[in-house]
Amino acid sequence: MLIDKETKYDRQLRLWASTGQSKLENSHICLINATATGCEIIKNLVLPGIGAFTIIDDKKVTISDLSGNFFLTDSDIGKDLATAAKENLNEMNYEVKGYDIIKSIDSILNSEEDDDVSLWDTFNVVIVSDYCCQLDKLKQLLWNKKIPLLIVNTIGFYGSLNLISHETTVIETHQSNKLYDLRIDKPWHELAQLVENTDLDSFNDIDHAHVPSIVIHIKALNAWKRDHDNKPPKTRDERLDFKKHYITTLSRNINLEGNFIEALDSFHRALRPTEIPYSLQELFNNNQIFDENLNLSTPIFWIYIKALKNFVDQNDGLLPLPGSLPDMESDTESFISLKSIYREKAIQDQTLFYEEVIKMLRSLGRYDDEISKDSITTFCKNAQSLHVSYGSDKLYDSSLLQELLSPSPDQTLVNVYFSILAFNTFITEFGKSPSATNIEDFTKIFKNSFGIKEDALSSSLKETIQELLAHSSRSYHNLSSLMGGIASQEVLKLTTAQYIPLDNVFVFDGIHSSSNKWKINS
Amino acid sequence: MSDSIDLLSIRPLLDTIGPYNEIPDEYNSKDALNALITSKILVIGAGGLGCEILKNLALTGFKDIHVIDMDTIDISNLNRQFLFGSKDVGKSKAEVAAKFVTQRLNDPNLHITPYFGKIQDKDIEYYKQFSVVVCGLDSVEARRWINATLVSISETSDIIPLIDGGTEGLRGQSRVILPTISSCYECSLDLISPRTTYPVCTIANTPRLPEHCIEWASVIRWPQVFPGQKFDADNPEDVEWMYTSALSRANAFGIDGVTKSLTLGVVKNIIPAIASTNAVIAASCCNEAFKLITNSNPILNNYMTYSGDDSIFTFTFELSKRKTCPVCGIVGISIMAQNWWSLQQFIDEITENKEVQIKQPSLTTGSTYLYLRNPPHLESITKPNLSKKLNTLIKPGDEILVTDPNLPMSLKLIVSFEGPENEPLQ
Repeated sequence: MLIDKETKYDRQLRLWASTGQSKLENSHICLINATATGCEIIKNLVLPGIGAFTIIDDKKVTISDLSGNFFLTDSDIGKDLATAAKENLNEMNYEVKGYDIIKSIDSILNSEEDDDVSLWDTFNVVIVSDYCCQLDKLKQLLWNKKIPLLIVNTIGFYGSLNLISHETTVIETHQSNKLYDLRIDKPWHELAQLVENTDLDSFNDIDHAHVPSIVIHIKALNAWKRDHDNKPPKTRDERLDFKKHYITTLSRNINLEGNFIEALDSFHRALRPTEIPYSLQELFNNNQIFDENLNLSTPIFWIYIKALKNFVDQNDGLLPLPGSLPDMESDTESFISLKSIYREKAIQDQTLFYEEVIKMLRSLGRYDDEISKDSITTFCKNAQSLHVSYGSDKLYDSSLLQELLSPSPDQTLVNVYFSILAFNTFITEFGKSPSATNIEDFTKIFKNSFGIKEDALSSSLKETIQELLAHSSRSYHNLSSLMGGIASQEVLKLTTAQYIPLDNVFVFDGIHSSSNKWKINS
Repeated sequence: MSDSIDLLSIRPLLDTIGPYNEIPDEYNSKDALNALITSKILVIGAGGLGCEILKNLALTGFKDIHVIDMDTIDISNLNRQFLFGSKDVGKSKAEVAAKFVTQRLNDPNLHITPYFGKIQDKDIEYYKQFSVVVCGLDSVEARRWINATLVSISETSDIIPLIDGGTEGLRGQSRVILPTISSCYECSLDLISPRTTYPVCTIANTPRLPEHCIEWASVIRWPQVFPGQKFDADNPEDVEWMYTSALSRANAFGIDGVTKSLTLGVVKNIIPAIASTNAVIAASCCNEAFKLITNSNPILNNYMTYSGDDSIFTFTFELSKRKTCPVCGIVGISIMAQNWWSLQQFIDEITENKEVQIKQPSLTTGSTYLYLRNPPHLESITKPNLSKKLNTLIKPGDEILVTDPNLPMSLKLIVSFEGPENEPLQ
């Protein structure tokens, strides 16, 4: 039967729309090690229709690989692990291209063949699941290439996730606490005109009760400013006075007129000054938009930021108007005419901003087709809630180490994280995973790895290590599936370039069903 | 008995006792393993969460799994319900899911028993056979029903824990309910955010948003054009009619933004759903089921939320019992009624009340019927009460029992009165 993509992907298009979907469909991700967790990650990306995935693994399927992995069956035993996993995963969605590379990561990283050297450039995100012998080398390589790397570990009831990314920029952050930019304190000419022409006294009672609250707010604020030296209400008393004597008094009956009740309830909108958010001012000072740093390869995000700064400088310190209005008590006609005034202004601003971006691109010798009108609209609508973060290529820093060494009642999760790191170091040194009988050697490695001088580890740390070594299964499926779900969600955020990704370490404790996250600095 | 494949990854979790084990003197790995492979476990829902739950349980040593789902497979399920393919559209979710997992694991000891039907089809004896119930549902009504059923079983025989998961977009929650011991689903009914509704006068007279136009087509226009006929959101013709009606109203009022996708979203109350969030929540639920059955580690006490839209955030807390919970509480819910309310006005008021939320209430006191919906002859006898004033039917402090045919429980309301005898004019 014919499957219509819009119907099949309906439930996710409601989260990231066709723009996110097309970015996802143009993404290629790479998984190193076809573990249970790794296969779960790929599963959650094949289902929503990622463009392509590549699995790198040089092992053969053994009976122990089957346990805890839904994407290997007993008929796969003896086959190449990467191939078997790829085929079983691909079955869920043939619109996705699956590839396998039957090589060790060691041989790829040490190879000088063109295919192996250029391999990494095809990937949007690389994922390492569990132990990787060349992790440091791989990490450095991808860091230099600015390709995000996810490192996922599951051991027993514990899991950790690192997101190693130079720079993460998001335009469509979907922040639910986003405030409306209504310009009540700074109405432009057409809006001021509309408010001016709205003569409340001339209305019959029905029309009077349907004047949009924004119009009421602008009238009330204008009146207040006339009486107060052109300054808005500031103190608590002034705000009360504003509500009582400037909004309420405009109403014919404040108990009955829904629009005036709404204007009182939302009076904070009238008092919120139109200004550039601090986080955006910081971006305007970012050295990436200094003239001498702009060039052919500057990411389009930073071209936008530079153009936005120019726009603000040329438009009285105002951002492009997003143009969206909240619903409000009003008749259809008043609401629609107010809305079209906002929309027309938004379109005007977008056109000016578009011209600014084009000018910038051309001055750098770049082409107009790098951007579209739609992407300009999206940027202008989201300019107030952009996200930028800078990652680290380290797995821990001194402040996290400090947290490990200064015991506090709520320490389990930091213990878990360092124990997972030491677990992998143990594998490098001993060539096998530690178990409950290796507690002495493990403790030695733990102390050496993190430069711990004290003889005794804290009792809570000892407990965590004991738990980790007692239950050291790397394919306990519930943790594999949980960490696989979390890691794949980060990949979705990175590839659709929507929502805010992790910054930059997350740890889950399946014993107490709790988690924590930290930011490791460079 | 030699270990089957799945136990290779599970044995290390059970063979050695860890430092957080809560019953170190009683724990032994043989019992733990035995409990895992002999316990009967019930999965309710074989959808986005259900597919994940079945896979997780089968891969972590459970051998006797039952699954109930009344739904059939739809194309829009395929972006996350990975046990189904396009060839399965229209078939029973429970049956296809059970077959897929059984075949994939190829383990002669694993039995997954599907039931294609409603949870209400099964009686108390059926539910009593399970050690634990894991729910992956999108319906509040079904959750209330199974919760009340398990609480009533647990009051007289062994406790059957209920593990409940839910997701919406990039967010979700999992919780463990130990009936009669910890808070139950009904205790936290007020946490559920109500479905967005729009005032009728806005829909009828002053539409401003595309949603207002869609609601008009659905709530006002449909019953006029097709009296007595129910709108079927799965019928493309019905959906097309709804969309074009909403669109023409929007055009008449100069409102933008009515699309087919938005129309479907509003009339079907569609909740966004993706595989990754379902994986997180289902895995959390199954991890709790595993710890609970094996006693290997403590279980969640008792609620965890997950959110992935701004970084990754989880929050774990103990939700406490509600004293006035109609299912597991001990006292009734106090309701302040206005002296001028008729019984009908009182009923309208309580159906909206967040702690009550009953759609088709029948009301009795200890001694009399106030209003019964069924059987028809009692309905006709009690109907005249609807227009009578409540304070002529009961005394202040009287208890009213409220029942609903969809819920296996009764709510106790304690009513007091205030306000004037006649409705005040505004």
